[in-house]
Amino acid sequence: MHDELEFENCSHSHDPVVGCALEGVSNIIAGIRDISIVLHSPQGCASTVALGYDNHETDFTQRKVACTRLFETDIIMGASDKLRDLILKADATFKTKVMFVVGTCSADIIGEDIEGMCRTLQSKVGAQLIPVHSGGFRGDLYAGMDLGLSTLLTFVRPLDGPRLTRSVNLIAPQASLNPTWWADLKWVKGVLSAMGVETHCVFPSTTSIEEISLASAATANIFLTHDMGYNFSRDMENKHGVPTILRDLPLPIGLKNTSNWLRALGEYFDASDVAEQLIESGETLVTDILRRRGLMLIPRYRNAKVAISADASMTIGLVRMLFEELEMIPDLLLVRSNSEQAKALLEAELNRLGISPRVAFGVDGYKVKQSLAATELDAVFGSAWEKYIAEELGTKLAFDLFQPTNRTCYRDSAYFGYEGMINMLEIIANDWEAALRSKEIRWEQYQE
Amino acid sequence: MSDSETVVAAATPSIANSIVFHGSLSELYRLAKEGKIPTSLQGSHTRPCKFWTASKILSGIRNSILLTHGPSGCAFGVKQAYKLTNSRNSAAPYEPVVSTNLKQTQIVYGGERELKAAILEVDEKYKPSIIFVATSCATGIIGDNVDAVTSQIASQINAQIMPIHCEGFAGEFRSGFDLVFREITKLMDAPTEESKAELSEYVNIVGAKMGPERTEIDTDVKELVRLIEGIGGKVHSVIAGNCSLEELRRAPSVAVNCALCLDLGYAIGSAMQDAFGTPLNSTILPYGIAATERWIMGAAKYIGKTSEAKALMESEYAAIKDEYEQVLSHLEGKTAIVEGHDAIKSLSIAHMLERDFKMRAIVYNFHPWSAEARETSIDYLLETGLDPEILITKGTLALGKYESMQQTEDELLEFLGSLNPRETVYFGSSLSFPNIPLVDLNAILNRPRFGYRGALKVAKCIKTALDYGFRPRSAMSKRIVFPQNSGLVSVQSLTGKLAQDMPDCTMYAGQRRKGQCMMS
Repeated sequence: MHDELEFENCSHSHDPVVGCALEGVSNIIAGIRDISIVLHSPQGCASTVALGYDNHETDFTQRKVACTRLFETDIIMGASDKLRDLILKADATFKTKVMFVVGTCSADIIGEDIEGMCRTLQSKVGAQLIPVHSGGFRGDLYAGMDLGLSTLLTFVRPLDGPRLTRSVNLIAPQASLNPTWWADLKWVKGVLSAMGVETHCVFPSTTSIEEISLASAATANIFLTHDMGYNFSRDMENKHGVPTILRDLPLPIGLKNTSNWLRALGEYFDASDVAEQLIESGETLVTDILRRRGLMLIPRYRNAKVAISADASMTIGLVRMLFEELEMIPDLLLVRSNSEQAKALLEAELNRLGISPRVAFGVDGYKVKQSLAATELDAVFGSAWEKYIAEELGTKLAFDLFQPTNRTCYRDSAYFGYEGMINMLEIIANDWEAALRSKEIRWEQYQE
Repeated sequence: MSDSETVVAAATPSIANSIVFHGSLSELYRLAKEGKIPTSLQGSHTRPCKFWTASKILSGIRNSILLTHGPSGCAFGVKQAYKLTNSRNSAAPYEPVVSTNLKQTQIVYGGERELKAAILEVDEKYKPSIIFVATSCATGIIGDNVDAVTSQIASQINAQIMPIHCEGFAGEFRSGFDLVFREITKLMDAPTEESKAELSEYVNIVGAKMGPERTEIDTDVKELVRLIEGIGGKVHSVIAGNCSLEELRRAPSVAVNCALCLDLGYAIGSAMQDAFGTPLNSTILPYGIAATERWIMGAAKYIGKTSEAKALMESEYAAIKDEYEQVLSHLEGKTAIVEGHDAIKSLSIAHMLERDFKMRAIVYNFHPWSAEARETSIDYLLETGLDPEILITKGTLALGKYESMQQTEDELLEFLGSLNPRETVYFGSSLSFPNIPLVDLNAILNRPRFGYRGALKVAKCIKTALDYGFRPRSAMSKRIVFPQNSGLVSVQSLTGKLAQDMPDCTMYAGQRRKGQCMMS
């Protein structure tokens, strides 16, 4: 039902708005406790690995990364000795349980035998050595996260006892544009707990290797993203018999999506009564707060033509909240990832809503800017990038909700659930006020 | 017994256990050249690679497109670090960094066809003045002939085009700066008598990077521009701080190039001198009055404004004299420990402290690697007679982030134990917690640092630090930076969101390491 946008001169040149596979792999590895990373690469790639840690806000005391700092001679002659020496030194210094030995573009292309090195050294080091080929050319951030998850899959041991009956694995909470995504994870865990369901393993966020190894005992997997993880979902089901649930629903963003998600969860775990209680109290919370503090959002937002520029997870969730609950008109949807499953889910959601905005998946900076310029919009929901583009294009309202954001976030704020909706509306309201306030005092109007 | 061992033996026993080197810069320099002190960095001491540093300079050229030939991650990283910073801090419009976005197939079969197509697209959709094609590790290794592609396609596009071979593995971090500064001289037109006459009162400020200056802050570059204008000169271009291709073309015709940063300014300044005979005014960073006067006079003599320069120097000094001299009386004879993580800056500060404030300067944890990487500047300093004390402790050479880790912090405190806190100040990051007054010149409010106003600002910062030396450093701050068992790692690894609020030199650096002067 949607109108897929087409762009000229974009077949070979790409102005990326997401990182490469190395960042994706790092974003997964950084979620595991008590690990270190030996990066077999030129030194610049260390900054990409740091992005993975940044996304977890990993305490700097827990970042244990060393890099072989490859130079031209290493590229020509190979650098196995350098890698061996660094693994030994890092093992002695970092003293972690697991060490990921990560090869990037250079090591990948020159054919460094990272697996062989790990096998050879395994008996000489304390850490378990895990080789990962993570050349940036293997894909984008989301492909890298898939690669990272597939590496973790090798740690999952076959089920050797009865399956747990009320226990779920939560998958890839960090694949989110909420700058404090761990608050969403906390909300999900809280809801599960209220329904008497245990969070078995998070893939991964401060997760231990032991927890991952036992993941096959869970009753089900729940993905907290629509942007990636589909292969992992299939493999967990095929290899370990753990089904994925709720994947065909938008994530719990806004009232209706949250209630749908909670009802589906309650139904699966025979906890519908708890779900209804959560829905009732949550909806009351939202409406009570907005009645007291946000009444003006009704006239403000009604029929405003808006764009969403985000990942699939946020876009699919937001579109109903904006259209049904805030009475806006989502006119343009720009999605950073490009998965067929997310496309199908968005299509279904737009059909249910009966709207046909213009849509583009796998967008880059050029496509975002061109699309915003070509559309008459009242507001843009996006990140700092969209904020600056909107400023340049003369679109007054740009809501800086997503990463990379220029908002200062000292407090963790969920976007999922009822408080999550309030959190987003608070940002939107503050950005609205700041955007429309006069920027300077027009003193001449006050002269006699 | 080696020279360094001699120095260690001379120190008190407890401190000696931690000291790797304590002596003069010239001695360290000699030991480094003779291979008698380790100059290599640890695996945890990663700097930005050549691709990053090249991109940082290229990001300072207006209406250019940086087309990176390789996977998309390299482009994304520098875009978020430099372009988002420019938008955020300096209200620059959105600027792309484009990638050929190579995948596995192109790595196997080559990516020249993609590059050609990408160049045509970029020319058509962005209409830039110039396209810089920057190579990445991947395309460097697979051997795509970027030079051939760019020369073949040049006649088919409207923009000028230039290949930049900046594979991340192809050199230490500063080689990217040097490469681009050398390459962009090829975009310049040889001066003519006419063009030289037109620009006879103009100077270029060379050695800048990234983009436009912040409007709300009295930056150092703005201070230098003010001084040049104060003597009746004009600034033609700040290279490469938001300069245009047209400015670059005419740049050699100015009367003189004035180096902003001794190292980077020298790279482009000497290249322009060699190619076009453009004179170079290359001095140490103009911290303090002595260095500032040398910088001003170095410019003035080429634009025929010597007497105006002297008049300006008098008036500038007169404007600060009373306050400056009053403050100075509190500083003379005191000792300053200068954090040596930013090599050139630390040496320039040491120069100011010794020459202007009559203080004793000890540069702390100046990594021996810098003795190799910063040869030009060190040669210059030694020639001018400056030879500051250098102290290097074991933590600097260990695996970890020596710029801020528990080991180097403990070593610093151990060393400071023998010094009188009322007579000693520490020049460095506020994220360090020595038990003596601390001056953080990277704090954004402490600008300008150059020129006369800067000298007064710095002197007042020292005085303030001494005046409030009775106040213990915040236990909360210390606990934030050095939690229990913080061990090997560094505040450099702080998350982007938190680091936004850290003392900020120039970097935004995407989602990481905001707040540190990543590479001066």
